[in-house]
Amino acid sequence: MIRKITYTIFLSIIVATLILFFVAFPFGKNKMGVGKYYLNNDIKQTGAANVVTAVTLDYRGLDTLGEVTVLFAAAAGVSILFYLIDQDKKKRERQVYPNFIVRVGSRIIFPFILLFGSYIFIHGHLTPGGGFQGGSIIASGFLLLYLAYPGERVNRKKLAVTEGLAGLTFVVFGAIGIFTGAHSFLFNFFPKGTLNMLFSAGILPILYIAIGFKVGSEFAGIIDDMMCQTVCGGEK
Amino acid sequence: MEKASKFNRYVFTVIVLYVSWILITATTRTDELIVGIIVSLLVAIGTYDYLSIQGLRHLSLKRLWFLVIYIPYYLWQVILANFDMAYRVLAPSMPIKPGFVIVHTDLKTDSGKLALANSITLTPGTLTMDVKDDKLLVHWIYVKDRTIEGATHEICGRFEGFLKVIFG
Repeated sequence: MIRKITYTIFLSIIVATLILFFVAFPFGKNKMGVGKYYLNNDIKQTGAANVVTAVTLDYRGLDTLGEVTVLFAAAAGVSILFYLIDQDKKKRERQVYPNFIVRVGSRIIFPFILLFGSYIFIHGHLTPGGGFQGGSIIASGFLLLYLAYPGERVNRKKLAVTEGLAGLTFVVFGAIGIFTGAHSFLFNFFPKGTLNMLFSAGILPILYIAIGFKVGSEFAGIIDDMMCQTVCGGEK
Repeated sequence: MEKASKFNRYVFTVIVLYVSWILITATTRTDELIVGIIVSLLVAIGTYDYLSIQGLRHLSLKRLWFLVIYIPYYLWQVILANFDMAYRVLAPSMPIKPGFVIVHTDLKTDSGKLALANSITLTPGTLTMDVKDDKLLVHWIYVKDRTIEGATHEICGRFEGFLKVIFG
């Protein structure tokens, strides 16, 4: 009996809250003042033709730095997990080797994948795409090489250096903003340039190139960890 | 086929990447061209060893000319094969005789064999399964000839002359 009464009371509280919430909420009207603000002021304030880039790198640049950090933590976590696995299991040889077409084809297409990935993150402020997408494309090129040539590895030290330098570039360019004009982190201190030109939008292209390198090397590291689970011999 | 020098292959890779950059940006604005050459130079550092063995020899006028002719010729062959395939699909008597054949190729370079294998695969009706040394294992929707010589003439004959010049 007491249980039923308690249920009824809680249920009515929930229903009442929902009714109050929806009554006070005007349906069918544009509630996103902030979205409108971005659309109206993007070109004036950031000079980026791609509004999404303006939001992720300029208005919410700090948030993107956080995302890159989360990705770094995830990559480190994957590394640790695979390092903990029994070392004997790692040396298991793979039985099936990829055939001629995969081997030669991936070798020939690899430079073009890197070029296309670079194209994506260099044009992040002009076209859809950006550092994360371009970095993923570059990492997919490395994945292709791993599939085609089991037993060969990328140089992890070079990857780590690339990743560190890219992260440093992001933070340094953010920090320069503190000492100029607006005294704020990630302030866009470069000239805005002409809309739709490659050299426009101030520091946004530089930040996206840094993110592209960072994401690409991080994903390549994750791929290395996972592929070496079964494929690779030992450390190079 | 002996390897070209490192510098030779590097320059070849830069040229190929730069042309691809111009094709994907689809513009000749100065800023894109400048950034394109920088990106090509950087990407080529890490990848010239993968792309090519012969280097600049790929860019001789004769080879480029044959490549230019080969593309429309190949497309024409694909259209012909498409009609042949459509006939086999639509005909009530179901004129198919699928099977595997082994064909022989005279191409020496890996890139040439790859181009031949992909040309065969992209043509409807034939599909390259594997390449070993100078033999290709091909699946054929209507096996006209089981012998290596006959199948080679039927399947590779159309492409091999061009590819021998283009890829050396």
